[in-house]
Amino acid sequence: MADGKDSRTDRLLEHEYDGITEYDNPMPRWWLLTFAGTVIFSVVYVFNVGPVGNGKGRIADYEAEMAAAAALVPPTPTAVDPSQLLAMAKDEEAVEEGEEVFTTYCASCHGPDGGGLIGPNLTDNMWIHGGAPESVYKTIAEGVLAKGMPPWEKSLKPEQMTSVTAYVLSLAGSSPTNPKAPEGEPYTP
Amino acid sequence: MSSAVLPMEGAAASPRLESFSYDDEIVRKFLWATFIWGLVGMLVGLIVALQLANPIFNQTEWLSFGRLRPLHTNAVIFAFAGNAFFTGAYYSTQRLLKARMFSDALSKFHFWGWQAIIVSAALTLPLGFTQAKEYAELEWPIDIAIAVVWVAFGINFVGTMVKRRERHLYVALWFYVASIVTVAILHIFNNLSMPAGLFKSYSIYAGVQDAFMQWWYGHNAVAFFLTTPFLGLMYYFMPKAAEGPVFSYKLSILHFWSLVFLYIWAGPHHLHYTALPEWASTVGMLFSVMLWAPSWGGMINGLLTLRGAWHKVAEDPILKFFVLAVTAYGMSTFEGPLLSIKSVNALAHYTDWIIAHVHTGALGWNGFLTFGMVYWLLPRLFQTPIYSKRLMELHFWIATFGILLYIVAIYSAGVTQGLMWRAFDETGRLAYPDFVETVVRLLPMYWLRVAGGSLYIVGMLLFGWNILMTWRKRPAKYEVPVITAPALAKKYVPEPSHVGAPVPAGLWARFAAAGWHRTWERMPITFTVLTTIAVVVASLFEIIPTFLIRSNVPTIATVQPYTPLELAGRDLYIAEGCFNCHSQMVRPFRHETERFGEYSKPGESVYEHPFLWGSRRIGPDLARVGGKYPHLWHVRHFENPPSITARSIMPAYPHFLTKTLDFEQIQSRVDAMAMLGVPYGDAVNQAPAMARAQATEIAAEIERQGGPAGLGDKQIVAMVAYMQRLGMDLKRQPTTVGVAK
Repeated sequence: MADGKDSRTDRLLEHEYDGITEYDNPMPRWWLLTFAGTVIFSVVYVFNVGPVGNGKGRIADYEAEMAAAAALVPPTPTAVDPSQLLAMAKDEEAVEEGEEVFTTYCASCHGPDGGGLIGPNLTDNMWIHGGAPESVYKTIAEGVLAKGMPPWEKSLKPEQMTSVTAYVLSLAGSSPTNPKAPEGEPYTP
Repeated sequence: MSSAVLPMEGAAASPRLESFSYDDEIVRKFLWATFIWGLVGMLVGLIVALQLANPIFNQTEWLSFGRLRPLHTNAVIFAFAGNAFFTGAYYSTQRLLKARMFSDALSKFHFWGWQAIIVSAALTLPLGFTQAKEYAELEWPIDIAIAVVWVAFGINFVGTMVKRRERHLYVALWFYVASIVTVAILHIFNNLSMPAGLFKSYSIYAGVQDAFMQWWYGHNAVAFFLTTPFLGLMYYFMPKAAEGPVFSYKLSILHFWSLVFLYIWAGPHHLHYTALPEWASTVGMLFSVMLWAPSWGGMINGLLTLRGAWHKVAEDPILKFFVLAVTAYGMSTFEGPLLSIKSVNALAHYTDWIIAHVHTGALGWNGFLTFGMVYWLLPRLFQTPIYSKRLMELHFWIATFGILLYIVAIYSAGVTQGLMWRAFDETGRLAYPDFVETVVRLLPMYWLRVAGGSLYIVGMLLFGWNILMTWRKRPAKYEVPVITAPALAKKYVPEPSHVGAPVPAGLWARFAAAGWHRTWERMPITFTVLTTIAVVVASLFEIIPTFLIRSNVPTIATVQPYTPLELAGRDLYIAEGCFNCHSQMVRPFRHETERFGEYSKPGESVYEHPFLWGSRRIGPDLARVGGKYPHLWHVRHFENPPSITARSIMPAYPHFLTKTLDFEQIQSRVDAMAMLGVPYGDAVNQAPAMARAQATEIAAEIERQGGPAGLGDKQIVAMVAYMQRLGMDLKRQPTTVGVAK
């Protein structure tokens, strides 16, 4: 605030209001320059000069962001090996990992023990969208919007989806506390 | 201020001395109201802060977060800051104009009318009567009362200016004039609505236009209710307390006019990256950037007024309050332009950063200026020395620490959540796909906020104790000094020029000497009209294109009005204040479309009276929630959110499952919408029957999914209908007929 120090006169103006007086000091120069600077910035912005301005606009920016991401992000593998899923369902470590995912994302609709709540019972041998390992995986990955099953491939990583599939397969034949009535078609491996 | 005979103005005028007294009784009334409502507003703030830290504090449907949050904001803005402004304005205006208020009856009407409005707000908001527009929640009968009381205040104020005995208007009065005029305009035009019952109405504007009008209002409620009135108070009470001259008269002139003219444009910065047209967003941003210097003009003039008095600041707690208030003002008016820059806003919008920003302003600027002012007034109004200077000092330090704790915690919460939302992992997936993860991360900071806010309230109690104890020492009868001052002569006799001032040479120098402004200052009506023109012209530059340019809102053929049942659900959503935590506006960012779905289009909101885009995401966005979950999911979730999302902080709404839906009432709602031009077709005559049919279908589906039976006439079916409709219009085939089937 050194600017304008010299120009400060501290000369009192003649008037007075209820005892309040005012100096006739000039406005601080740095303040005036800041004000002018913001006005100049605004003009430059409106005319999109160089990097200052809206550029191509928010929708074009969004499309560019999506295109860049599509180039970077590998597509989710759609093909899974059913025998590998079955093997994982018997692997304690994989099942434990799957259980963690299940508790976080699935239990609210399918019940903490898979016995069904809002979504169907996953412990019986009846399946609405198929009970084969690859069908279960597909249902998890792509969802069934009409039935309220969300697609998970955008939220879960491929290994999370295989492990949770393994966990679901491992539930077959377990006895949940409060099972929902069976729905769908029977599936026998 | 102790001398009863004030200096005469203009030596040549033939003075006719007049005797009068100031009405300090009204000032004492407003002072008490300031404290009482301030305490109430802050306690409600504490409750809502606790509710965010732990949902167990949501008890009963009337006291849940969605209904209390507007009560907190309204109480603090209109009851606490409002009464504080009136306290200071009634005290200073009379003295600055050397005149008693124009009409004691109008002063009393203003006081009691305003308090009645606050009481009605405190009753209706918890009952769920709301227009769903931030800081304009109160329903139409109360809005009319506000307009009437405000106009009465305006008449009283202008009347006092007309019968004044001081020739020129001091800068504090310019700010009061701007506030009074602009608040009236903002209030009336944002609240225009179509009543659909005694305590229900729909905004006459829809979607993009409604959003624009709301934030034209909302931003300027900050400007002309929390900023300009308090700058006026600062210009009176700060030089009074510092006992020194104001730093620069010229700075006052330039920062006043630039502030008044520029502020009005800035509203659209609340809507960056929404469906608001991009040009409006850009205008809002640039005018906000240009507001930085005009805002700081006030801070500079305040702080530099203290130049010669810094040694007093160390001893005088009143000056400490003022210094911190003005510093907080400087901080938040630097942050405001910063937040209005689009790329910064992209991170901060919908997060607690905004909450931190407004609390720097409200707790620091408005609160501390009020405390300083009231402490300065206490001995003068109660005519006895203040009860305890040490308590004042303690109040200052406790409240300062409270503010720091509050805003540091909430800044961290805001930035943390903003960064978590946009984080992607190396596989290109959202790092935190589960929204609740980004919420529970904030809970420790929410507890810190509770602590900071509590400290501020402790300070408030010390404040109240000091007021009470000073009041108890008052004299048996207040002395009412008789003031004598000459009446204004009909003809203005020019003042002698400054002693020793050089006569400005040249056009620019004469302009810069501001003699022209001096002329305006002795014409209060002209001054008021000029201020009004500044505000109205600036507004119309934005409002007219927003309403008239068709390409702002490209039509989408599949967008249909809500069915009667969905409309009833939407009204429940509004009544519960769901919009306080859930946005319905997906911005065009990859992290938002990955999380919520396609970004929102302007054409989707054409029947949204009022718009429900929201301003804060305490819960996830709901614009695309339709069809995402089964009906039963929603039933269970409303009944008890943690049963679905274990760590959810959403309040439970079990009453949706037990309360009967008023089907007959839906007709009046549909009719009001139809009168606003929503093409309702057959529904105008048979809304209840149509709603019942849809309700039966939904109830049957809930039962089929394994849910409870007998929900067909309960509120929950309307809520489910509304939830399942959100975002579905974009997915509909153009041939499908929506409402009229």
